[in-house]
Amino acid sequence: MIYAAMATYLLAFSATVLHRAKLGRAFYLVGFFIAIFAFGYRWHHVRHVPLQNLFEVFLCLGIIWYPVSRLCFRSLHIRGQHADMLLAAVVLFPAGFVFSAEPQRLPPALQSWLFVPHVAVYALAYIFMAKATFQAISQLVGSTPSPNENMLPPEQATYRMICVGFPLLTLGLILGSCWGKLAWGDYWGWDPKELWSLASWLVYVGYFHFRYMFGKKYPRANGAWAIAGMMVILITLFWVNLSKLFAGLHSYAT
Amino acid sequence: MSRFRRAVLWAALALIMLLTILSIYGAFLGAERAKAFFNSLPLAVYWLALTALFIVGLVVFRRLIRVPGLLFIHGGCVLVLAGSMWASRAGHALQVRLFGIDKIPSGRMAIFEGQRENRVLVENGRMTFTLHFYIKLKDFRIEYYQPSYLRIQTPQGRTWTIPAETGKEISLGGDIGTLKIVRLFESFKIKIEDGTRMAFDDPNAPPNPALQVEITSPDGDATSRYVFERFPGHAHGEDELLLRYRRVIRDYVSELQVIKDGDIVAEKNIEVNHPLHFGGYHFYQHSYDAEAGQYTILMVVSDTGLNLVYAGYLILCGGVFWHFWARPIITAASTKSE
Repeated sequence: MIYAAMATYLLAFSATVLHRAKLGRAFYLVGFFIAIFAFGYRWHHVRHVPLQNLFEVFLCLGIIWYPVSRLCFRSLHIRGQHADMLLAAVVLFPAGFVFSAEPQRLPPALQSWLFVPHVAVYALAYIFMAKATFQAISQLVGSTPSPNENMLPPEQATYRMICVGFPLLTLGLILGSCWGKLAWGDYWGWDPKELWSLASWLVYVGYFHFRYMFGKKYPRANGAWAIAGMMVILITLFWVNLSKLFAGLHSYAT
Repeated sequence: MSRFRRAVLWAALALIMLLTILSIYGAFLGAERAKAFFNSLPLAVYWLALTALFIVGLVVFRRLIRVPGLLFIHGGCVLVLAGSMWASRAGHALQVRLFGIDKIPSGRMAIFEGQRENRVLVENGRMTFTLHFYIKLKDFRIEYYQPSYLRIQTPQGRTWTIPAETGKEISLGGDIGTLKIVRLFESFKIKIEDGTRMAFDDPNAPPNPALQVEITSPDGDATSRYVFERFPGHAHGEDELLLRYRRVIRDYVSELQVIKDGDIVAEKNIEVNHPLHFGGYHFYQHSYDAEAGQYTILMVVSDTGLNLVYAGYLILCGGVFWHFWARPIITAASTKSE
């Protein structure tokens, strides 16, 4: 089902690139439903909300990309929906080809009502920040929307995406802290995952302060901040979870 | 913008970037060393400077006070920092000096089943602290997911995983035969009866989970083997199969009673994610006697500063959602209606 969802997303991207926008949107929607079905099947199979390991998290990302993409396009005037189709396939790739799909039982520490909100909020935040990064790259390469598109220019689109994603990033960090207090006795254990998550949050805090101080004078630097934030997020998501260098309490995610 | 205001902004940006770099550096140190690093004197100066900068910023930039979202965001951060500092080791030492409140930041207690304890080991066991009440351990148990599993592997790398249930049988292919689970043991022991060795389940013995399996070759020859959870990867016999019996832990449960002045004043079954809160401390399920399950180890953590931190989280969270989500939506909606 994951492969089918990926293929459908890729078909959606191809159709849109070939100026068959309606067909592309139809494929995009079908891919979304296939991904939902895959997620539901996994949920039924493991008997808990499937957000425990990287396989399940990336499967979840592959689902929520579609509604986020539609929300950004229709309500927030953020362009780049065709790129979203490709990115939705890209985030499903690790789930389909890299990470183990072996079902695992929930260890005691993950049996908390905070487990699902913490991971889900972070997944949502990461998608908005990824979209912000795409807009930042568009800004740096000089891409602008045409006047009749009624879409935000890239720098403003980056800011808007970060404004939407930052509260989710904050909430994810706080939920994780509260959960740590319940599970391990410490709302901040200086675990590598916690520190990298804090670093990713701080990069966006720095983005807001920099943009307030120098945003108009150095608009391209705003984009660089956003890209730096995404790089820290990718390190938090991949390197911290997968590397033996950062052994810590968050090793369930592998 | 005045020079002083510009300097405050620059200081804010510098401290944010510094903390980002320090966080990344701390991630490479590992949790224990990072904790020591961020609680060291130079970083204590940093935290105080950061808190002071927040307060200066609130005073100098009126907008941070006039705009509710910004006030909540920055005020929330101040509360979180203040609560964390108050909860630190230095904060507890200050409380003893200023208010005579004798509490420890954290420690560990080991309690045997049926026993009560009021001594907490602190400083990695170098000191003890005596609580003004006792914690009694009625019972400690480990709960496992059902069913457990038997994993079978050949030298060529073929694997099978089957539920560890009596009577469960699996075909391993025409060249190996079949495997059947004959019996499950909780506390496996061997006794000699009439010169014959017999396996039995001893309820009075420490846990020694095991399976008895019967492997039937394609020729019809049946051999019996025992698979022990506590000795994984043990291979023997001519079949050369690697058998591993695995139980997955679902929960650790310590049934606790709080005894003060001879009376039971509180009771709770604590598990991971469900600590006991009493007398200014939280008691967490931390570790246990892995050999015989006879004692539990609790993590004891002071609740000093916790309410301040939680209040800061709530205000910070409310502030970011208000400022970045609610306010623009309300502004857009009122612009549209006009």
